[in-house]
Amino acid sequence: MMQNKTGVWPRNLFGSAVPLVAFTAVAGALPLVLSGNRYLAFVAGMTMIHMLWACGMNLLYGYTGLMPLMFAGIAGISAYTVVDLTAAGWSFWLALPVGTLAASMAGTILGLPSLRLKGFYFTLCSLVIQTVMTLAFVYFSGLTNGDTGISQIPLPSAGHGKPLSGLAYDLVLAAAAVLGVIALIITVHSSLGRRLIAIREDDELAGALGINVTGYKMIAFFIGSLFAGIGGALYAPYIGFISPRSFDVLISMNIWLMVAFGGRGTIWGPVIGVALLAPLSYLLQEYYTIKDVLYGLLIIAVIVLMPAGIAGGFGRAPRLLSPRINLPTPRRSPK
Amino acid sequence: MSNANLIILLSTISTGLILGSIFSLVAVGVTIVYGSIWMPNAANGQFFVLAALLGWTATVSWGIHPAIAAILVIGLSVPLSYALEFVLIQRFYDVPNRNVSYFVLSLGITQILAGIFAFTYGRWSDQFQLPPLIGGITFVGPLPVANNRLLVLALALAILAALFALLRYHRYGRAIRAVFQNRDAAALRGVNVRASYSLSFVLGNAVIFAGGFLFALAYSFDLTVAWTMSITAFAIMIIGGPGSVLGALIVGMVFGFTQAAVSTVASPTIAAFSYLGAMLLILLFKPSGLFAR
Repeated sequence: MMQNKTGVWPRNLFGSAVPLVAFTAVAGALPLVLSGNRYLAFVAGMTMIHMLWACGMNLLYGYTGLMPLMFAGIAGISAYTVVDLTAAGWSFWLALPVGTLAASMAGTILGLPSLRLKGFYFTLCSLVIQTVMTLAFVYFSGLTNGDTGISQIPLPSAGHGKPLSGLAYDLVLAAAAVLGVIALIITVHSSLGRRLIAIREDDELAGALGINVTGYKMIAFFIGSLFAGIGGALYAPYIGFISPRSFDVLISMNIWLMVAFGGRGTIWGPVIGVALLAPLSYLLQEYYTIKDVLYGLLIIAVIVLMPAGIAGGFGRAPRLLSPRINLPTPRRSPK
Repeated sequence: MSNANLIILLSTISTGLILGSIFSLVAVGVTIVYGSIWMPNAANGQFFVLAALLGWTATVSWGIHPAIAAILVIGLSVPLSYALEFVLIQRFYDVPNRNVSYFVLSLGITQILAGIFAFTYGRWSDQFQLPPLIGGITFVGPLPVANNRLLVLALALAILAALFALLRYHRYGRAIRAVFQNRDAAALRGVNVRASYSLSFVLGNAVIFAGGFLFALAYSFDLTVAWTMSITAFAIMIIGGPGSVLGALIVGMVFGFTQAAVSTVASPTIAAFSYLGAMLLILLFKPSGLFAR
């Protein structure tokens, strides 16, 4: 184990160092370069928030092998909590950790079905949870203002009463995205990350090797939901308007697509995926329905043509195909 | 019982029957496809709405009689399904854990169709209504019911009965059921597995199209019906037991009545909450469903 650590740690960290420096430079420079054009700066800022979400989704989907389609709903819990708390007079910077924690707790609890359900059944279950959350956002209109949504959410203040400037908040978002990627790199390269990967590869075998599968899946959900929560909390004041549709199943699918398209189970694949796909929906503006068609086509392309994404995925040989159709094939039980 | 209460009761029953039979149709279509080729078709709601919208175009825009339009639309589903099967679906027939791939694939199809609908039909109208098949009103006790809805109910039940007979007694139906149960044993007994797969995909989609068209004949609809229908059909399939046609039939009817009854006394949102909750419980505690085959 120690040999493995000294052998693997530095190389992996150095491997991430060059792209990390490049990413930090780009993320930090973008708000400054684009500060003349609020619209493009806004697109860049939204991309940064999607980076955070993609990191969380990547931890769950890419590294733990779970495919939750309720990610946007978890982000929504945090967004609504933060907006309600700031409306009640809290400072945004105090509401942010509270909302994030609320989202993480919710995410951990809502992730519990993953302990019993696998593959399609868990994905379906998370889809149902996402739908229930969207319905709940509409239904509990006392907290969420229902379908109308909450508008005119102010940017947070810098501590002495005045709201942050757009540029300052863009820099906050860039810093959050960079810290998110760093946190993901550290998580994945720690022993926790190796255990999660073991669970992804074969959770029964991982359990037999003494890994507490239940506990680690819950930890994965807690950390993944942290990303969702921070992203959701930062999202609300940035866009200034949230409604149940901001956190519906389409958004969950989009986040999944960015991770899968980029290359799940790699650090930089999803970052590239986000950089390519997230700006689209904001740049297309009134032709945004084209985005739905395009995303749908990309989903099919990812599934059919490149299951490993553009970054190549797990870095293993392609999985074995089962024999042709008229030969006996083992068929897994539904569970 | 006072007359007003009797009318409410009867109208709940009639709505429940019509909704239940249409839910059953769609859920049977979904469960046939899942049971045979293991594809959880999340795009069923979009197919459902596609049939309804094509029917709207044929009857309202082109002025074709609804009966002929129904045959045309349901007939059109066959080449469409074959094309989809040929291009996408058959690629995964040999992949071991293909239900996840299929699920995501069908979510992609959902997104494409939803985008197309929003871009085309969504710009033309909010609410769509088809002309009735037949006019007139029949009194069931004190309750007036449009003959059109009675005919829709009769047609839906007839299609369900025909489907049941087909699956139970006809050679093709027996082949499909044999592949349902054990693909390898069926192959050994000389069943053409691949043909049976594509047949069940086409059959399942045709049934979903029929459900969509009948729904559009009975009620006015909008584009949001699609997602509700997808989730409802999945809930019915999971609770009834994936692959179980009888389960889909019974649970579909129960859901129709629940929807009608809960919508009368509370809101449709409560109805949605209730069966999503039921589905979660079944998923967690009896994932093989109530009527597991």
